[in-house]
Amino acid sequence: MRHVPDGTLRRFIDEPFAVTDRDTGHVSGCARCRLRCQRFAEDATAAAQRLEVPALVDADAGFARSRALGSTAPSAGTTLQFRPHRSWRLVGASLSTASAAALCVMLVVVAAAATLTAVFTPSPAPPAPVSSADIQEVAQVMGLNTTASVGGFRTPSGSEKLPFGTLSWTSSGRSEQVASLTAAEAAAGMSIVVPTTLPNGVGGADRYEVMPKVEATIDFGAMVGSSLSGSSLQVSLGPAVAVSYSGSSMIDGVGTLGILDVARPVATATGATVSQIESFLLSRPGVPPGLAEQIRLLGDLETTLPIPNLPGISSGSAVIGGSRAVVLVDGSDAASGAIWEDQSGVHAVAGLLDRGDLLSVARQIG
Amino acid sequence: MTSLPDARGGALPASTDFEKFFRAEYPVIVRIAYRILRDAHLAEDVAQDVFISAQQRFPEPFGSDHAQAWVKVASTHASLNALRAGRRRTARQERAFEISAPADPEELALASEDGREVRTALARLPRHAATVLVLRHSGLSYAEIAEAMEVRVGQVGTMLRRAEARFRKEVDRATRS
Repeated sequence: MRHVPDGTLRRFIDEPFAVTDRDTGHVSGCARCRLRCQRFAEDATAAAQRLEVPALVDADAGFARSRALGSTAPSAGTTLQFRPHRSWRLVGASLSTASAAALCVMLVVVAAAATLTAVFTPSPAPPAPVSSADIQEVAQVMGLNTTASVGGFRTPSGSEKLPFGTLSWTSSGRSEQVASLTAAEAAAGMSIVVPTTLPNGVGGADRYEVMPKVEATIDFGAMVGSSLSGSSLQVSLGPAVAVSYSGSSMIDGVGTLGILDVARPVATATGATVSQIESFLLSRPGVPPGLAEQIRLLGDLETTLPIPNLPGISSGSAVIGGSRAVVLVDGSDAASGAIWEDQSGVHAVAGLLDRGDLLSVARQIG
Repeated sequence: MTSLPDARGGALPASTDFEKFFRAEYPVIVRIAYRILRDAHLAEDVAQDVFISAQQRFPEPFGSDHAQAWVKVASTHASLNALRAGRRRTARQERAFEISAPADPEELALASEDGREVRTALARLPRHAATVLVLRHSGLSYAEIAEAMEVRVGQVGTMLRRAEARFRKEVDRATRS
């Protein structure tokens, strides 16, 4: 039997969609290759942990410094002058969507948002879906109320005591339904692109929902020790607009098509780095090891887009508007979804559509 | 178009295109350098050097896959050069470092030990192995690594697998020593 070569097996861990179905099938049926895959994944994880570095770099300060260096105009051939600059630990900066989204998992999903049963792909092993029990378990560890509503928080603003500090959140209000796309754009302050040509069976847009921007902060108290005490983590998520479409094939009130646009999330840490805070949160006793491992295995969160990984759903990839999208398709190809990120934010399209129809809609948006 | 005096004596355009490129790539480049050097100041110094070279090489780098790949490999190589040559801060840098805010001693001690092992292990790896390892764990895709290292994308997995296995051994060795 021909086993999967080392290089292919290694790529399978990082980019499973780039490996042929034949190799993927072989790995799933071959104990020896699965064992090799596990060993490779362990080495990859160990390297990722060793090579992990703070995520916060201030490009503005860097550019200002670059300009300042230029303006000093030393004579040709001299070495560059280097100036003191701020410590990384004190720099707060905008993170990429993916990193912030992962933090939102910690802040929002961990706050028992039952609708966001995370989490992630790709992963070295067959991805372990995160159950609502996992979420509740984590919520208990975090000392959070598990009856939170959709979006993660019960009220537009408030706070909760955590075993290691305080979680507080504010938003401009509750999610609201509005009458038109124009009204949704005005309420969210975002420009929304919707498809002009819809697949057969999809009716017109019949519901526009605007979710306000939510800002959540964890302030770490003295009980966490000197490394994090006094630090805080702020995550800003939203606003978001969801557009639902009706259609002849509605099932139990579920629309045939839904489009979600979310502004780029921003995370800011003060005192400690985001990765220090993430490590702390994941190391809490009681956090399901599978969930913690899934999040750790993301490696460099700046380049990884966390997406839901649900049982019975196969995943693939596609290019939408120049961005790489993850495409999820159910076993019968009757329902599918795609999620991608571009300069304007994170976009998702899902519906009771096959993959081809879904991509035709997504490509009108992206 | 306005011009800034070049740090190396020439004239560089204050290009909006370059500024966009700088802002997009700078955090990535600093982090690549920091992965290797474990020193934020040196990492930013390497990044500044890389962008000055890039500005001379790519007048309009924004949107150029080649320029993006080039700065990442340049940052890796410049950092490995600094690491392997045992380059230390110049007297000027030392003075600059001394007047910056002191860091938490406990954090410094932990970071210093971990950083020493990583630096030692990276310095012992063959250059191409250290490069593929750092680029991958800086988030580059296999296709981007192939473009940056000018190898076939099919080779990246093999190179990475070997690099990670060797890196683990070298870290263990550095930890014991």
